[in-house]
Amino acid sequence: MSDAATPAISCRHLWQVFGPNAKAELVSALAAHGRDGNAAAAELRAKGLIPAVQDVSFDVRPGELFVIMGLSGSGKSTLVRCLSRLLDVTAGDVRIQGEDIATASKARLIELRRKKLGMVFQHFGLFPHMSVLDNVAYPLRVQGIGRAQRQAKAREVIELVGLGGRESAFPRNLSGGQRQRVGIARSLVGDCEVWFLDEPFSALDPLIRRQLQDEFLQIRAKLNTTIVFITHDIAEALKLADRIAIMRDGKVIQIGTPSQIVLNPVDDYVREFARDVAKGRHARVDSVMKPAHGTLAEGPSLREGMTLDAALAACVAAQAPVAVRDGAGAVVGQIDPADLVSALHVEET
Amino acid sequence: MSALSEAPPAARPQLGPGTWAALVTLLAGALCLIFAPRLPWLTAWPADWVLLDTKSLSAWLEAALRFIRPAARLVSALLAYPMGWANALFLATPWPLFIGIVTAIGWLIGGAAMASLGFLGLVFVLISGYWAEGMSTLALVAVSVPVALLAGLAIGLLANEVPRVKGAVQVLLDVMQTVPTFAYLTPLVLLFGFGPVVGLIASAIYAAPPMARNVILGFERVETEIKEAAIMSGATRFQQLFQVEIPAAGRQIMVGFNQCLMAALSMVIIAAVIGGFNDIGWEVLLTMRKALFGQSLLAGLVIVAFAVVIDRMSGALAFERARHDRRVALAILGVALLATLLVWWRHPDPEAFRLLTPLAEAVDKGLGAFTASQGATLDALKNNAMFYGLLPLRIGLDDSVLPFTWGFQWTAWMSGAWFAVAALAGLALALSGRVTAGIALTIGLGIIETGIAQLPWPFVLIGAGALGHVAGGRRLALLSVVLLLAILVSGLWDRALLSLYLCTASVVACVLVGGALGLASAVSPTVWRVVRPVCDMLQTIPLFVFLIPVLMFFQIGEFSAFLAICAYAVVPMIRYTRHGLVETPPEMVEAATAAGATTWQMLRDVRAPWAAPTILLGLNQTILYAFSMLVIAALIGTTDLGQSIFLALGQADIGLGVSAGAAMAILAFIADRLVQGFARGQREALGL
Ligand SMILES: Nc1ncnc2c1ncn2[C@@H]1O[C@H](COP(=O)(O)OP(=O)(O)O)[C@@H](O)[C@H]1O
Ligand SMILES: [Mg+2]
Repeated sequence: MSDAATPAISCRHLWQVFGPNAKAELVSALAAHGRDGNAAAAELRAKGLIPAVQDVSFDVRPGELFVIMGLSGSGKSTLVRCLSRLLDVTAGDVRIQGEDIATASKARLIELRRKKLGMVFQHFGLFPHMSVLDNVAYPLRVQGIGRAQRQAKAREVIELVGLGGRESAFPRNLSGGQRQRVGIARSLVGDCEVWFLDEPFSALDPLIRRQLQDEFLQIRAKLNTTIVFITHDIAEALKLADRIAIMRDGKVIQIGTPSQIVLNPVDDYVREFARDVAKGRHARVDSVMKPAHGTLAEGPSLREGMTLDAALAACVAAQAPVAVRDGAGAVVGQIDPADLVSALHVEET
Repeated sequence: MSALSEAPPAARPQLGPGTWAALVTLLAGALCLIFAPRLPWLTAWPADWVLLDTKSLSAWLEAALRFIRPAARLVSALLAYPMGWANALFLATPWPLFIGIVTAIGWLIGGAAMASLGFLGLVFVLISGYWAEGMSTLALVAVSVPVALLAGLAIGLLANEVPRVKGAVQVLLDVMQTVPTFAYLTPLVLLFGFGPVVGLIASAIYAAPPMARNVILGFERVETEIKEAAIMSGATRFQQLFQVEIPAAGRQIMVGFNQCLMAALSMVIIAAVIGGFNDIGWEVLLTMRKALFGQSLLAGLVIVAFAVVIDRMSGALAFERARHDRRVALAILGVALLATLLVWWRHPDPEAFRLLTPLAEAVDKGLGAFTASQGATLDALKNNAMFYGLLPLRIGLDDSVLPFTWGFQWTAWMSGAWFAVAALAGLALALSGRVTAGIALTIGLGIIETGIAQLPWPFVLIGAGALGHVAGGRRLALLSVVLLLAILVSGLWDRALLSLYLCTASVVACVLVGGALGLASAVSPTVWRVVRPVCDMLQTIPLFVFLIPVLMFFQIGEFSAFLAICAYAVVPMIRYTRHGLVETPPEMVEAATAAGATTWQMLRDVRAPWAAPTILLGLNQTILYAFSMLVIAALIGTTDLGQSIFLALGQADIGLGVSAGAAMAILAFIADRLVQGFARGQREALGL
């Protein structure tokens, strides 16, 4: 692992344009509009090209669970395929643990994918002619690892995703949830350091989806990977994310923690997403906390990391600012109950 | 002028591209009609306008071939070895053992059903007395198929790996599909010399494209995410291909294998016309020529038996997944070995089991008696179809209506009346709002008066261009005209029109009969239960075999050719019509039912429009089938391009063979593109 200062993933001014002669068209469009991304994208569209990812820049910290959320067609899959270089980027810079992916050689890419990267697909992408065990062991097989050894490792991972006993089944005999468990197991068998998941649970029924989300969080707790997780479901994003990037029409329009997204949507588009969300359950007190000053009234006190709902219940009767304490009981800030209430009603403004 | 320009533009009649095309064609037809009496070159392309006659083409090609001939002869000498080995192996294998092996393979592939199919099929071959000939045919197939498979796989891989050549490869495969089977043979004969090796190479060339097509299709159908998963697993390109993409495309590739086998078998049998090899196709030809129809039928049935066994077994390979107990297969082999020791030891010659000869003779005798007693009826059937159907279509009412057949003589006055009626009928339709249909009707009636074989060439060119413009835009229009011009300047125009006529006649018949059968099959599952196995069978039988029954009853001639073509080409029309009608989305059917539509209304208003693109694809297949049978039908008496191709083969006239083959391919190609274009338009109109 590289040191904590280097982002696990970093991309700068990333563009992916589909259509004939995309690279040259993009360069000339950018030059014509003085590097104004929006104007350049509009020109490309007018010419019949598809700017699926436009001028995207962000960093993902090591160990972070970074969720990319947006409606269908907003360019999420394209973006994640640029990060894993399933697509050659049209312009911009992608670095994984500091290493430039866009210019990596074929051999190096294979090496990276064997050692560092893992990916889970929306429609599972299982090999129809291989059993569960062979599917999961495949990333080891391509490395030339012996049969016994790779199958032993695959069995471990299959156990981890809760599919023990189904090793000899074929994908066509599995349910959707089971198939995605196989997909997850296969992506984990190589001990990846950066894990891409492209809408892994979108094709599943709500009940199964929630169950897999919970298991996903459990698995994540055991691992030490950086995760880029794609979804179109705001509830899923809020439930899982450390930080969320919201995409619209190929652009990232807001990046922030779940609380920031819910409480301070950057525009109507994001507000529309946040509208149906029970904010109190996703935003945390930290997001409305102010530094403590003066003396705080005795009475209820709040814990760092509490959700707004819980905080409101705890200090519903309070009139004056209430202290927020950390795990050890030390005061880390204060909250004005009025702020709490207005935060929860932000959408009505 | 100013009054006109002030009129609101919507008030002017809006002519769609179809109407324009029809108008232009109509105008061209009318002009040709008017000037034809004074300008004979409008109907008959003058001989001194032929720019590249077949003789000079022969000379050119001969000169070109001289350079590759040594290499070709080397290849043919090299191929003679594996062919000799295969032949020796197949003929030397004791027949009980061979039957046992096929039965055991059948068991492994498809259990008891396939095992008994294999067993019965081969036992039939044995008792028919054509074991040795059959084995020779199989030996040819056995050598040509691996070559075709490898070539097809390589072409498919190339198209997949090098996206830049993919388009070109697909065009090439399309073109190869339209080249008539016999047309391959003449250049090959000149390159490789007479003999079985030519059959082998022709069959490999003919069988490789289906494999290549299916390989390409298979790769395309592998889900992107599966390919991406292989990449993200860190597989090299080689590993991706051989560990993931090829196995994931396995089923489609097996379909390709099945089609490849069938094409190879079909071509091996067709290649028998060049002779030099004692195989079953040759046997059919020989007995047909001697009018020994019982024997001919028997030999034909041997081909059918091979075709059915090979088709069903290789098909099961693609679609069945059940595993069958290997011990049973071993047991079957054991029994076969035992039988070899016990029976073959004493009767090594399969000829000893020729049990069906009396049957063949009985068929001959019965047939003789039947034609003697029913000859008048058969002749009447044939003559009526010729005089009142085929001939008018070929040479037009003006030449075919004679006192001797119709009871009166067609006069110029009648022509005038006919055209007037045609114009009025068209006008009536046009006034009722269906302008294009009206013009088309007029044109159609005009063609019947003139006859397809006597159509003026400018009319055909302009008509094809206009159709091409509607179906596929300017490019297709231009391509059609240029390609037809090529036929004109090669001096094969008359024969091309004859091919066009025979093809049109058969396709029209197929559309009527096949459409009706398809409709009946869509409406009634009982009908489909009867029609379906017949269709399956007709599609499995190699083209050649179709000639036998029609010859038996109607002798050599155009009508027999017509029947053979129809029998072969009707199948896609039936299948696609039914499929299109049956596969209407259930929610559409439910919506119509909820709206209170009767069965008939549902068919007319909901199912038929939905099925239109599918039916058009069926028509397309029917046309291609008709063209491919056209060449085979030349064996039993036609005078069109097919006959030229066949003659060229006999005389080793490469110029004639190549240009007639190309002309036939051009006709098929244009027809294919036109109908596909219309089908695409229909699909787009339905938003598919
Ligand atoms: N290979 C491609 N060629 C052309 N356009 C594409 C291609 N892949 C994606 N697109 C277009 O890019 C846009 C973003 O697609 P995608 O990344 O799949 O969106 P999402 O995953 O957010 O649903 C869509 O408009 C899609 O049509
Ligand atoms: Mg997507």
